[in-house]
Amino acid sequence: MIPCRAICLVSWLVFAVTVATPEARAADDRKPPTVIKDPHYGEVLYYFYQDDYFPAIVRLMAAQKQTHLPNHGAEAELLLGGLYLSYGHHLRAAEIFERLLADNVDPQIRDRTWFFLAKIWLQRGYLAESEQALANIRDELPPELEPERRMLQAQILIDQGRHDQAIEVLNAWRGKNEWASYARYNLSVAMVRSGRINSAVGMLDELGQLDPYNEELSALRDKANLALGYAYLQDGQPLSAKPVLQRVRLSGPFSNKALLGVGWADAEIDNFQRALVPWMELRGRNLLDPAVQESMLAIPYAMAKLDSISQAADHYINAIEAFYEETSRIDNTIEKIESGELFDQFLSQDPTGTTGWYWKVEELPEGTESRYLYHLLATHKFQEGLKNYRDLAYLQRNLDGWQQSVEVYRSMLETREIAYYERLPRAEQSLANADLDRMVQQKLEFDARLDSIDKSGDSLALATAHEFSLWGEITAMERNPALQANIPEAQEVRHKIRLLKGVLQWELDREFKVRAALIRKNLRQTGEALVETQRSRRQVDESMRNEPLLFEEFNQRVAGLDPKINSLRDRVDVSMAVQRAFLQTIAVDELQAQKERLDTYTVQARFALAAIYDLSSTVSDASQ
Amino acid sequence: MLPTRSRRVEVTTKNNRMVTNAAAIAVLWLAGMLVAFAQGAAIVNQDAVAASTAAGETAKAQADGQFRSLDEDVQSLKKEVLDLNRDLFLLEEELLFPANSQVAFFISMDVGEYFELDSVSLQIDGKEVANYLYTEREAGALLRGGVHRVHMGNLKVGDHELIAVFTGKGPHVRDYRRGATMTFNKGIGAKYVEMEISDRVAKQQPEFIIREWE
Repeated sequence: MIPCRAICLVSWLVFAVTVATPEARAADDRKPPTVIKDPHYGEVLYYFYQDDYFPAIVRLMAAQKQTHLPNHGAEAELLLGGLYLSYGHHLRAAEIFERLLADNVDPQIRDRTWFFLAKIWLQRGYLAESEQALANIRDELPPELEPERRMLQAQILIDQGRHDQAIEVLNAWRGKNEWASYARYNLSVAMVRSGRINSAVGMLDELGQLDPYNEELSALRDKANLALGYAYLQDGQPLSAKPVLQRVRLSGPFSNKALLGVGWADAEIDNFQRALVPWMELRGRNLLDPAVQESMLAIPYAMAKLDSISQAADHYINAIEAFYEETSRIDNTIEKIESGELFDQFLSQDPTGTTGWYWKVEELPEGTESRYLYHLLATHKFQEGLKNYRDLAYLQRNLDGWQQSVEVYRSMLETREIAYYERLPRAEQSLANADLDRMVQQKLEFDARLDSIDKSGDSLALATAHEFSLWGEITAMERNPALQANIPEAQEVRHKIRLLKGVLQWELDREFKVRAALIRKNLRQTGEALVETQRSRRQVDESMRNEPLLFEEFNQRVAGLDPKINSLRDRVDVSMAVQRAFLQTIAVDELQAQKERLDTYTVQARFALAAIYDLSSTVSDASQ
Repeated sequence: MLPTRSRRVEVTTKNNRMVTNAAAIAVLWLAGMLVAFAQGAAIVNQDAVAASTAAGETAKAQADGQFRSLDEDVQSLKKEVLDLNRDLFLLEEELLFPANSQVAFFISMDVGEYFELDSVSLQIDGKEVANYLYTEREAGALLRGGVHRVHMGNLKVGDHELIAVFTGKGPHVRDYRRGATMTFNKGIGAKYVEMEISDRVAKQQPEFIIREWE
């Protein structure tokens, strides 16, 4: 029987590669149900649906090797590709897709698969591979994916420095949805990079005035205004810069920079009183933000300009103290990062998590050091590096587990082998006692004898012991010389004996056929039992021959796996250390940059303070 | 004296996942992110900006190269560990459950409108061999079509009795406990038995079916 299960799942692969998009799932639900015909295939799906990609891949590969998937051969291979993709093993996924997606696959599935592969590759910095994957998409993707595909394409071109081609792609964008706004922003970036400044300015200005209907668009609008405002500022156009920067929301992620810029726009036209308004607002904000740090110097600078020298000096002193404390905290954080402790904290947030590519660190571990690294989370390199680090930690745990198991198997094999060789002599003795050949010979003799009895109709041969005894008595009496006398009494006894013999003969003849059939049946059953026993014996003999070979094979396999595990374990350790060092470098470089900026600000504050003291002392001397 | 400053403009996508530093925008626009305002006069150190940007680009290229090399290393390790896991998985199965005596019991669900699975208990020939409590995630995987191997063991050739007891929430979210039993014959070679929970629409009740896979 083949259980028929209507799984509204989808075609595995579509599902595998559309995890991120609910719209795609809904579309997949309309597809005809998949029927599971091999339990091992269903088992792979059981792990897959729990996002446990690693065990799902292992089970699928094992089932393929054991030929347990006769009814799901082709789709199992594609499912494997999808699992690799979900697991983030993109190179092996690509090998499978390149082999299988060329033909005989639903074009929609094929195109979606290439799309997600392109996305993974771009995130991991495989730009050429990503571009090739996008090129493999033959038709337009569904509406929920098509804009992202075009954005990916433009992104790759920008990253490769092919700005003119990126502009071509982005310029062709039509429509007025969110994607179109993002496309215009990126288009302006590509234009700037390719030297078409004026067009970019117009586009950013247009974006900066769009009417946002959600948080994403509001952030995009802020971003465009910020870029344009600073461009005007640095181009010496503070009057143009100020209204643009004032379009940035006061509470958004770009508000600090915008407030700082608005202050600079006023300062540029010598309106220091006005400049102090946004800068003072920044004073109460997070000191980690460079804009806030800079405002701590800008405020006393404006005060000095307004001849509030004493207040300016106080602010410079406060700034120097704040920068010093912040620098100390950064040093502590660097120390903690270099010890590797921080990255282990990242992983301990999700200790049971296995392996998905969709995994993403959203929250940093609690602690003062985390606050310096928040924006690192937004970078692909850090996130993907962290994923690799997490995957390596998983491999490490996995290999540790197997190392222990292999030890148990080795011990189990030893015990089994000892037990086997202990029991072997007893088993051999028992087998030697059971002379099967003699039994078979006996059975054949019985057959021949029954045939002979049957043929001769020797009913006495099938008589019971009692009948045989009676027959013996009767024939003994027949031979009695006394009964041979020619007297009436003897004649009467002879008559009675003949009668008795006749009755017995009649009985024997009557039972003969039934008895012969019964014996023949018994002999047949005996024969069958003997055949079964011979078969079992052959199995036992075979097992006895094979068992030592099996022990040897298992021992060899276990012995072969052990060094493999050890070697891989070492390599994983090395790779983890390198990966951790890489992440540490990214994080420490970031912190060093923050520290250098603080150092520069501190020097500037000290210099300004010294200038103020110098000025005060000169004024004081003059007054004296 | 006023601070030097740095600004970054980023390429952006809709979901904000793809962010790429675009230091060049600053280079082209105003040759720089380093602007010193001193006593109202802006001083732009363009050479320093150009040098700093070039150094930044080189460092980025190096980091990209290092990331890719590490990623390729991790990919290679993943491949080898997966292959090793497959071999170990097979070894474990062959060692613990030889094909001649192997028997595996699977749990599956079809639709599952009338039953929310909590746990399954299995008895073979009167002896309890498995008692499995399902997490929400596992029960969800069953509902979506996954098949769970709840028990694997070794049995002698011949007839055996299986009793499965399912516990969970039945219609109207009431506690529900039902048993299903069957006798199956274990021949030479592996045996797979499936316990399926399905819906009997006519009675609006769950149905528990045990059957053998062929």
